[in-house]
Amino acid sequence: MTGDGPMSHRPVPGVAVAVGEIGVERIVARLLAVGTYGSVTLVAIGTALILVNGVQPLGAAPTFDPSRLGDDILHLRAAGFLWLGLIAVVATPAGRVLASLIGYARRGERLMAVVAALILAVIALSVALARGTAV
Amino acid sequence: MRRFRAEGARGPLQANGVIEVFLLIGGGVAAGLFGSLLGLGGGILIVPLLTLGFGLPLITAVGVSLVCVIVTSGAAAGVYLERRVANLRLGMTLELFTAIGALTGGLVAFLVPERFLALLFAALLAYVALTIGRRRDPAPEPEIITSGAASGRAADAAKSVAALEVRLSGPGYRVRRLGFGVVGSLFAGVVSALLGIGGGLVKVPVMHVVMGVPLRVATATSNLMIGITASAGAIVYLLRGGIDPYVAAPTAIGVFLGATLGSRTAHRIDLRVLRGLFVVILLYTGLQMLLRGLS
Repeated sequence: MTGDGPMSHRPVPGVAVAVGEIGVERIVARLLAVGTYGSVTLVAIGTALILVNGVQPLGAAPTFDPSRLGDDILHLRAAGFLWLGLIAVVATPAGRVLASLIGYARRGERLMAVVAALILAVIALSVALARGTAV
Repeated sequence: MRRFRAEGARGPLQANGVIEVFLLIGGGVAAGLFGSLLGLGGGILIVPLLTLGFGLPLITAVGVSLVCVIVTSGAAAGVYLERRVANLRLGMTLELFTAIGALTGGLVAFLVPERFLALLFAALLAYVALTIGRRRDPAPEPEIITSGAASGRAADAAKSVAALEVRLSGPGYRVRRLGFGVVGSLFAGVVSALLGIGGGLVKVPVMHVVMGVPLRVATATSNLMIGITASAGAIVYLLRGGIDPYVAAPTAIGVFLGATLGSRTAHRIDLRVLRGLFVVILLYTGLQMLLRGLS
């Protein structure tokens, strides 16, 4: 670390500082905070239920079955909260990119909006390939 | 999922359910604390902890580690963005390539033998131990350069890249050599998904030394990128049964607590002593991982 804050940099001629960038950054920052703390809360509830329900963490692991999620949560089974929390963990960064896409598109920054859309396409491809090759 | 766990494999830390949960939380706290104090993600310690300590298969440990890495980076990245230290445009541009690399690495991880991954991880631990052991002062802040003259199509392409680099630059610095950044990001993504780390070990030096981004901005931007890098790999692990929620949850809680604690106590701790201890731990775990790979 150099200890140099962003405000300590001298401006460089020709370097554009986007007006309104702060708005997108602030929204993205808040979304990251809400997503992270929300998912950690769900995971913490699931961990508490592991203890309450006497689950052996290093025993057999539950399989991921989205159709059972609601039922598990209603019956206060640890697996339901854990899977929901893990989905929230994995989805939060993608949510941040989606928020950026909307923010940049509204501002007419086509290039950054395209970059955001491509990242989401790669994430969607991850889901499709992982599901397609699941064994 | 069960088939990813080696039959009869038991680590020295396996005990009854309640104790196991607290051991996983405790291990996560230690990994998060060490990682935070030394500017590394917790992943570098979580994988050895779960494989060598709890006897879990490497592929499961990597899946759990990716979850922990996303959790720890999420909160910190939000703060960096709010303070305008992280460069969102640069981060998003590069993370497109880390995501492609991570997708590739995530798919490859299920195809390669566990021994190969163990040997790769041992090499990574040795590299990190050497890097930390020989850590010097940060490289001098890069100079701002101007592109030379070119002609024809090459000149047009160079102009387009240069224009993009200007758009990705921040106050006080000018991004350069974007092509190297793209290649480095692809590599960081593959390594992240194969070994369950955030990839900052690759991204920060590439951004700082090669692309001319100030170290503080490079570190913050790398942290922001870790979320997408790790989640592209984690999705593959999640959907292919490579993430054990009973192990991931307590470990992630521990890492989150440890990283939070580390960020608040870093200024009170003598990092030279800690660095020495960390190098010893890394070398020891690297040796254990090497033996695992060779056995």
